[in-house]
Amino acid sequence: MINFTINNQPVTALKGETILQAARKAGFYIPTMCYLEKTTPCASCRLCVVETDKTDGLILSCQTPPTQGLAVSIDSERLQTERTNIMRMYDVNHPLECGVCDKSGACDLQNKTLEFGVSSQHFSAKEQHRKIEHWGLINYDPSLCILCEKCVHVCNEIIGDDAIELQFGGYKSAVIPKNSDVLDCTFCGECIAVCPVGALVSSKFQYSANAWELTQIPATCAHCSAGCSLTYEVRHTSNSLGAKPKIYRVTNNFEVATLCGAGRFGFDFDIQAAKDEALFEKAVLAFQNATAIRFSSLITNEEALILQRLKEKLGVKLFNEEARAYQSFMHAYSSISGKSAFSGSLDAIAQSDAIIVMGGRVSTDNPAVRYAMTTAARHNGAKIVYMHPLEDALLQNVVTQNIRYEAGSEEGVIAMLAKTLLEGCDVDDAIKAFLENLDEGYLCAESNVGDEEFAQISKSLRRAKRKTLIVGSDVLSHNRAANIARLCALIETHTDFSLIVIPQTVNTVGVSLICDLDKDEKIANVVGYNAQGDFVIGSMGECVMAMPSLNSQEGTFVSINYQLLATNVAVAFEGHCLNDIAQALGLKALNTIDYTAQLPVEKGFKAVEFDMLGNFYGALGEDYRGYQLETMDGELEGVLEEIDDLPEFNGTVIYQCNPVNQFNAYTARTSQLEADTSLRGSVQFATAARISDGDSISIEGREGTRVFIIDETLKGTIALLPTYDTAFSGAHEGYRFEKIKLQRMGS
Amino acid sequence: MSKVYFSTWRGEQINNIGKPEEEWEISAYNLPEQYNEHAHSKAFIGWDGLALFNPDVDVVRLATEYAAQYQVYSEACGRCAPGRWGGRILYDLLDKIARGEGALSDMEHLKEVSRTMQETSKCEIGKTVPTPLLDLMNHFEAEFVACIESQKPSKHYHMEDTNYIAKITAPCMDACPAHVDIPAYIEGVRDLRFDDSLMATRQTMPLAHTCGRVCPHPCETECRRSNLDEPISIMELKRLGADYETDHGFGFFHPYAQKPSTGKKVAIIGSGPAGLTGAYYLALDGVEVDVYEELPVLGGEVAVGVPEYRMPVDKYNQDIEAVRDLGVNFITNTKVTAEMMRQYENDYDGILIATGTRISKKVYCENERAEIQGYWGAIDFLDKVNLEVKYGIMVPQADQKQHMLDKDYVDLTGKTVVCVGGGFTSMDVVRCSIRANAAKVVMIYRRDERTIINNTTYEEYHEAVEEGVEFIFHSAVAEMRDENNVLKSLLIDRFELVPDPNGGRATLEKIEGASFEMACDYLIPAVSQSADLKLIPQEWEIERTSWGTIKTNGKDYMTSRKGIFAAGDCEYGPMTIVNAVGQAKRAASVMSRYVINGEITLKDDEIMEDHLRKLKVYDKKEKIQGWLPGLPRQHSEVLTVEERRDNNREVKYALTQEEAMSEADRCMRCYYIAMVAH
Repeated sequence: MINFTINNQPVTALKGETILQAARKAGFYIPTMCYLEKTTPCASCRLCVVETDKTDGLILSCQTPPTQGLAVSIDSERLQTERTNIMRMYDVNHPLECGVCDKSGACDLQNKTLEFGVSSQHFSAKEQHRKIEHWGLINYDPSLCILCEKCVHVCNEIIGDDAIELQFGGYKSAVIPKNSDVLDCTFCGECIAVCPVGALVSSKFQYSANAWELTQIPATCAHCSAGCSLTYEVRHTSNSLGAKPKIYRVTNNFEVATLCGAGRFGFDFDIQAAKDEALFEKAVLAFQNATAIRFSSLITNEEALILQRLKEKLGVKLFNEEARAYQSFMHAYSSISGKSAFSGSLDAIAQSDAIIVMGGRVSTDNPAVRYAMTTAARHNGAKIVYMHPLEDALLQNVVTQNIRYEAGSEEGVIAMLAKTLLEGCDVDDAIKAFLENLDEGYLCAESNVGDEEFAQISKSLRRAKRKTLIVGSDVLSHNRAANIARLCALIETHTDFSLIVIPQTVNTVGVSLICDLDKDEKIANVVGYNAQGDFVIGSMGECVMAMPSLNSQEGTFVSINYQLLATNVAVAFEGHCLNDIAQALGLKALNTIDYTAQLPVEKGFKAVEFDMLGNFYGALGEDYRGYQLETMDGELEGVLEEIDDLPEFNGTVIYQCNPVNQFNAYTARTSQLEADTSLRGSVQFATAARISDGDSISIEGREGTRVFIIDETLKGTIALLPTYDTAFSGAHEGYRFEKIKLQRMGS
Repeated sequence: MSKVYFSTWRGEQINNIGKPEEEWEISAYNLPEQYNEHAHSKAFIGWDGLALFNPDVDVVRLATEYAAQYQVYSEACGRCAPGRWGGRILYDLLDKIARGEGALSDMEHLKEVSRTMQETSKCEIGKTVPTPLLDLMNHFEAEFVACIESQKPSKHYHMEDTNYIAKITAPCMDACPAHVDIPAYIEGVRDLRFDDSLMATRQTMPLAHTCGRVCPHPCETECRRSNLDEPISIMELKRLGADYETDHGFGFFHPYAQKPSTGKKVAIIGSGPAGLTGAYYLALDGVEVDVYEELPVLGGEVAVGVPEYRMPVDKYNQDIEAVRDLGVNFITNTKVTAEMMRQYENDYDGILIATGTRISKKVYCENERAEIQGYWGAIDFLDKVNLEVKYGIMVPQADQKQHMLDKDYVDLTGKTVVCVGGGFTSMDVVRCSIRANAAKVVMIYRRDERTIINNTTYEEYHEAVEEGVEFIFHSAVAEMRDENNVLKSLLIDRFELVPDPNGGRATLEKIEGASFEMACDYLIPAVSQSADLKLIPQEWEIERTSWGTIKTNGKDYMTSRKGIFAAGDCEYGPMTIVNAVGQAKRAASVMSRYVINGEITLKDDEIMEDHLRKLKVYDKKEKIQGWLPGLPRQHSEVLTVEERRDNNREVKYALTQEEAMSEADRCMRCYYIAMVAH
């Protein structure tokens, strides 16, 4: 703790905190133009200069930690003069096109220009003529750019694309794509978010609306299990009476949170329907006659609770294989760990200095996990071990060790990992015996991971202090999932690793806590809710009756952080919703969100009304979104089973895996996201399957044809098969690797 | 000392305007009066003032040109608002005045912008570019005002009679023999752009892993931050870029794209730091390179001299692979002879000799005979240790016998080892002896503890003491005593420092009667090394220095024979890795032009580099403004004695990311622009 003063008032700073951070925490205002709390200081704007009693010149508060007893002064006349001059320089030749600029009304340059009273151009320099760049979803206007470098910093330090850089050139400096003529990145759009002026803008949004006309609706992203915070910005589409509003764009609180491209650009998935009473009657009847309801995890907690209540009332079964797999995984996990939820979180990943990822292609499954890993890699120099049958080119600049195991061998791999990580830990005799009895030779040979690779893990983690094990969704549907879960729990319990499991869908976790799920059977009279069935309702696929999509619903989700998060209606849906059907079937609640406070307390939920839930971050980044679920105690009845024979996947194998920014039928139908549906494989795969780049192929047992594309970043005989474009949610059911038969249909 | 017409350099106020030349006051600094053999300088202008060497300088144009350099040197600017726009405004306003379109208000704006730049810029360029401009506007105000009032261009504005040569420097860059762009690689760390960091290093230094570990870092002695509190841990920050490349399995981040093949070929003799560096930059320039190495392994003294615990060979090999990646051809197990050299002179367009100094010098004591068993030269001793530890190459039987080893590696169990030295090599000998399990290890050194620390580093000395090395200062070996040509003991003389009663340098004088005998099994001389130049054909009559190394002018590194170049220890005498790198980088640059046009030339950048080194960029007395003092230097963790004493684990961990970031944040980006008009 360092004690110092700002303007003669006592302030304290933690070790590592800068003068600016301490000042902001204490409520002092120091102006900045380039400062971004989540990255290293760009230190380019120089507005945050301050004076101290121990220095002659002005010092930069954003990158200087205070020393004990320092007296800082932050707003003298001298500082005001220099800051004003800097603003005068920023305004040199900045185009006077605020009238049409997207940023107008929410522009840092406008705000600061007003704040410092710069009313005319005081200095002048030769004007330059500069070309606007069109980079797909993003446009860049160098003449508006103030070169604060925020975009460059987030792209490299948080996202990991490292796709843009500063072209140094003094007055001619500009932001340019790195190592490429055009922008080649995952289009997360975070650069747009952090841009303080109108230099980087969404190409589709550009010139379509002004900041002050848009209504901001705080919500939670529906596309993956991270539950990122976002704001839908909505406006009427015309001035005529009754004109419907629509979502113009999505923004986020970029100071503290981050959003991927699907969240940012994949927002227009809402559908519309009018109330159709006849259809409604049929739907109610279908529920009454149903033997089961099949549903996806693209659902709010409240609707999941309605389904659970319907199960109880009507005696129907509830099918959701994806959530059931997660539920059983977590059940097995609790049986060893003694608690209902794992200790890890996205924050824990970001703080780590050592990370092991296994069993999932996290970069596309859950971009928030990737961003947390990038943060850890850059900011903490984290050692990151990536264990998967397929290397991931997107993660090259964060991963420090790649381990490719054979598809299907996850149980053996996690057992060997447990043995490696538990080395030297104090465990009971049963565990000791279990680890000693592992048939290492067999496990290493069949998983194709050598002893030396495990030894390398130990070596590279030697100095690490904050470690996280990330387990992806491959293992959730593995037929040895339960034992894998127990082994994960073993590692978490006996080592200093925290654990986080990454299910696929926005509310897999919530459903697993709320619903009593049954094993899916091919039976008749199934009502499907965003899922296959004999009578299908929902907001995707071919539904008999349309229901509101998740951006037209109020409700809550549970994220992988076991945090309950609220979402709101961006555009109203005028048809019927599930609660209407439930009411007709005798459930009493007036509104869907009446169920929020009834979510099961015994599973860790709190009896909090929906309207009492926060959905924002504080000025210093405090998380006021929803609430953290309680971790409940579980029974320690689990016993480790012997490792089963490791299965083999030979020949042509596919891995169900979506391309960047695609997750489900919602993302599939949005207008801005690239919709690549091709099967992507290596040259080796093509040879094995006797197909060539560009061929049209069909996969036995699956409908339709796809184009096959050779992906140079892939190796081996496993190809990537998208699932987001299939009729319903896009969640893969069953184990993600599958041996397939391919047929070449033409080229 | 330089003859100047006018100077404000480093605060001096010399004004010889109007005085007859013989009465001119002389400047106290080594200013570049003579640009090169062809040209006198007219003016020198830089971060700390300016000097005019003759009365005919157009000061308005000079100011404009200096401001223009700020635009040109874009790699170092464009990173902050006051620098980016301020620099442009300075230039535009000065040029407006110089071309005869200025207004008096422009002078005011120039002063205002200058102040804001000086107060708030990110780097020292932004802070210091206005300094000489304000000097000019103050001292020669009349000339500026004349341009404004007459609305006429300055006197030389439309003439092309003057060359303006500028160079970016920094105190640390200037102090580094390889002139590594240190602020850039530290900025890469600070910005978490480790690829950029490494590419900045590799512009002049290919051995990033190596010089991130075993460089004596002269840069840190001239780090401007030490005027404020403590120098930045410059050396170790180099490792972050190198580790990033290695850890993530990227290819190699070369500083710029390799140029297309020139069709020219160069032979390099020796694959040590100088040979590798020469090969790297020649290859980048599109020259085909064959490197001949006598030993079975690549890397020269860093491979077989520097022990594994200081420089892990897998890291050094990464540096070597970066060189190989450019297509350099390595030929090992080839001791080049004079005959081969004659052939190479025909076969290649140029030859770079980089054979180092691999002969251990004698200690000059009584009975010092090579045939006595137990007398073992440091270079050969370290060869045997390192070849086994790093490469698994065992000691041949004949050598085992000669050195009384009963195993096929260097095992000194139960033995007493005495080393005579005081530099890095002797430290390596004693610490390797500890690791080879010697019973007792003694270092005999003529001078005192302080000197040994100066010659090496505090850490090196301290770690050796911790590991159990016994240091006997002010001592020397007087005699080797043997029985049947087997070393049994040494006679050691003791000395004391006797002050000169006349106030001169104290002298070492032997203390009579204090000599003693010390039983020992090995005497390892590590006093210095000399060059083995038998490979140079006699008839080439290549000039040597008085200390037996190859002579060059220290600027272009060509020997007295055209087309034959020399760099590294064989040219300079035993010195540091970074010195060898710096020399070889320069030699490669000269050679890359020589092989094309047969001429020996230096680039302006190189000429300026030499001028600035003579002038010295670092100013120990400067008072630092704009940075808060009292932020402590970070020290990386070191293995405990128990953890390291009996093995070859790397003694020093890297800085943690947190420590590295904290160090990088302390860097003040002390870039400067210097410019000569000639």
